[in-house]
Amino acid sequence: MIEINNLTKIYKLSAKKKRELKTNKDVKIAVNDLSLTAKPGEIFGLLGPNGAGKTTTLRCVATLLKPTKGDIKVCGFDTVKDAQKVRDSICFLTNEIKLDEHFSTDYLFNFFGKLKDMSDEEIAKRKEELFAAFNINEFKDKKIQELSTGMKQKASIAVSLVNDPEVVIFDEPTSGLDIVTAKGVLDYLKKLRADGKTVIVSTHIMSEAEKLCDRIGMIIGGKKVIEGTIPEILEETQTPDIEEAFFKLYMENTDEKEVK
Amino acid sequence: MNKTILIAKKELFRIFSDRKMVFSLYILPVIIVVAIYSIMGQLIGSMSKDIEEHNAVITVVNPTDELKDIISSSEMGKNADITFVTEDEYNSKKAEIEDSILNGDSDLIVYLDKDFGSVADSYVAGGDSLPSMKIFYNSTENYSSASYSNFDSEVVDTYKTTLLDSRYGDLSMLNAFNVDSQVICKEEKANMEFLAMMLPYMVVMMLFAGVMSVGVDAIAGEKERGTLSSMLISPVKRSEIVAGKLISMAILSIISAVVYCVAMILSIPNITGGVGNMGAGNISFTVGQMLQLVAIMVVLVYFYVGVIGLIATLSPNTRAASSAISPIYIVIIILGMMTMFRTGGTNSIGSYLIPVYGSALAISDLCKLELTSINFLASVTGTLVCGIILTFVVAKAFNSEKLMFNA
Ligand SMILES: Nc1ncnc2c1ncn2[C@@H]1O[C@H](COP(=O)(O)OP(=O)(O)OP(=O)(O)O)[C@@H](O)[C@H]1O
Ligand SMILES: [Mg+2]
Repeated sequence: MIEINNLTKIYKLSAKKKRELKTNKDVKIAVNDLSLTAKPGEIFGLLGPNGAGKTTTLRCVATLLKPTKGDIKVCGFDTVKDAQKVRDSICFLTNEIKLDEHFSTDYLFNFFGKLKDMSDEEIAKRKEELFAAFNINEFKDKKIQELSTGMKQKASIAVSLVNDPEVVIFDEPTSGLDIVTAKGVLDYLKKLRADGKTVIVSTHIMSEAEKLCDRIGMIIGGKKVIEGTIPEILEETQTPDIEEAFFKLYMENTDEKEVK
Repeated sequence: MNKTILIAKKELFRIFSDRKMVFSLYILPVIIVVAIYSIMGQLIGSMSKDIEEHNAVITVVNPTDELKDIISSSEMGKNADITFVTEDEYNSKKAEIEDSILNGDSDLIVYLDKDFGSVADSYVAGGDSLPSMKIFYNSTENYSSASYSNFDSEVVDTYKTTLLDSRYGDLSMLNAFNVDSQVICKEEKANMEFLAMMLPYMVVMMLFAGVMSVGVDAIAGEKERGTLSSMLISPVKRSEIVAGKLISMAILSIISAVVYCVAMILSIPNITGGVGNMGAGNISFTVGQMLQLVAIMVVLVYFYVGVIGLIATLSPNTRAASSAISPIYIVIIILGMMTMFRTGGTNSIGSYLIPVYGSALAISDLCKLELTSINFLASVTGTLVCGIILTFVVAKAFNSEKLMFNA
C-alpha cells in the first residue's frame, strides 16, 4: 500500500543546474501537490512525458528524497519518520541505481540478503526461486561488467527482490530491453501482482501502460492530471485509447501553463 | 555493527579480487620505494667518491719525525694539506683552528703531547708509560669524518705498528699509545639520522596516497556509478554504511603502510652501501618504539580517511573529488617535507597537536630517539580529535539528499 498525500518536491537549483536547464529561476518544482494511492494486488502506472516528475515521485516513495511538502506512507509507515521500516518493505529499481560491476550476481544477492537481515537458508531458498525465474543460473558467477544489458537488468531485479518485499517500485522497467526480455520482466510484475504485492511503475510507453497497469495516474509538469482505470480515463476524456487521451490532456495542460 | 562489518568485508573483497587494484595499491609503491632508494644510494655513492677525492686539511701539533715520515709515505699524505705546528704556535691559534674544524674549513687536528717523542722512545726502550695522541674531528662533517677514519687507519695504525715493532720486534702487543678521539655526536643517533629525515615524509605521503586511491572510488565513485543508492534504500543506518566504508579504507591503507615500511627498511642497505659512517644499516627500534610508530600511523590513517571520506562525499563524482583532493595532497607533502629540513631545536607542544605535521614531527623524533611521551601523546591526540570530528561530519553528510543525489 502506497499513499501519497499532497506531495510537493522542489529542487533548489545550483548555478550549474540553472545553466543546464537554461533557466534563471532558483528552484524547480518537480512535483506539485500530487496525491495518489496504490493498493496491494494492483499495478499502478505513473504515465507522463520526459521531465514530468515520475522519477522524483518514485524516489520520494523509496525514501531517497524527502518531500518538500506533504507526506508519503508505505505500508502505513511514513517515509521520513520511519524510513528504516519503509526500506524494509520496498524494492526500488531504476536505471540510475546499478549493481557494482566488480561483483557477481551471486555475491551481490547474498550481500543484499544479509543487509536485509535474512538468514543464509532464507537467502538460499529465495535464490533458487529467483535465479530460476530469471534464468540467472548460467551467468550467476560472472562479474556484472561482463553481462549484457538485459542480463544486468535481470540481475538487478533478482537482487532487489531478494527479501520478497511487499512494495515494488519500478522506474521504467523495460527501458533498454529487447521485447523478449521486456516481456519476461512484465510477466514477472504480473506474477507479483498475483501474489498480492503493491507494484508501482513509471513509463512513457502508452502501449505498455495499457497492457500492464490496472490503474494509471497521468503526470504533466509535476501535476497529476487524471487518475483511474483505463476505461475510466477513456470515459472521462472521451477518447478511443490511452494515447489519444494523453495527447488531449497534454495539449490542455501545457496550453494552460503557457497562458499563466 | 554486523552490517558495518558486512559492508567493510565487501569493500575489501572488491579491492583484493581486483589484480590491477592490488598492483597499484601494494606493488607499485614498493617498486617506487626501491627505485628511489637505489637512485639515492647511487647519489650518495658518488658523494662518497667526492669525499675520497677531497684533499683533507689537517693540523698536526708537535709532530715527531717518525710521524712526519709515516704521513708523507701514506696514501693520505700525498693529497692532504698538512700543517705541522709546535705547541706554542698551536696555543696562539687554538681558537681559530678549532673554529675551522667546526665550520668545516679544516678536517682534523692531531695533537701529540709535547713529550710524545721522548715517551715513545722510552716506551720502545721498555718503559711503562704510553705516549698520548689526541685527534679532534667533526662527526657531522662528511669530509672531517672521512679524514678521521683515513688518518686512523693509514697513519695511526702504522705508527703504532712501528713503535711495537721497535719495542718487541713483533706485533703481539696490544697497545703502543693511547689515542683519544673526540666525537661530537651520539653514535646511535647518527645512525638514525637518515631515517629520521626520510621516514616522516614518506609515511605521511604514502599513507595519504593509499587512502586517496581507495577512498575516492569507494564513495564518490559509487555515487557516480549509482551503486551507493542501492545501499541507501536498504534497511541499513547511514552511519553503518559510513563506518563500513571508512573502516575498509583504513584497513587497506594500514596494510599499504606496513608493506611500504617493510620495503623501505629492507631497501635502506642500498643507500648505505657506499658510505661506511652513515651506518643506517643497523637501525634498531625497540618494541615500545615500534608500538609508538604503529599508533602514530593508525591515527594518521584515521584522520586521512576522514578527510578523504568527507571530500568524496561532498563531491558529485570522482573527477571533482580528485581535483578537490590534489591541493590537500600538496599541503600534506609540504607538511611532511617541513620536518625533513628541520634545523635542530625543539618544537613546542602546540606544533605536535597539528594533524599530519605533529605526526611527522613525532616520527622524526622517534627515529632520532628523542620522542618524549608528552609530545607523542600530543601528536596522537591532535590528529585523533580532528579525525573524529571529520567522521561525524561525513556521517551527517550521508544524510543529505543534496549531496547523495545532487538534489
Ligand atoms: N537533482 C535535480 N536537481 C534539479 N532539478 C532536477 C533534479 N532532478 C530532476 N530535476 C528536474 O525535475 C523535473 C522532473 O524530473 P524527473 O526526473 O522526476 O522526471 P521524469 O518524469 O522521471 O522524466 P523522464 O521520463 O525523462 O525520466 C525535471 O524538470 C528535472 O529537470
Ligand atoms: Mg525518469
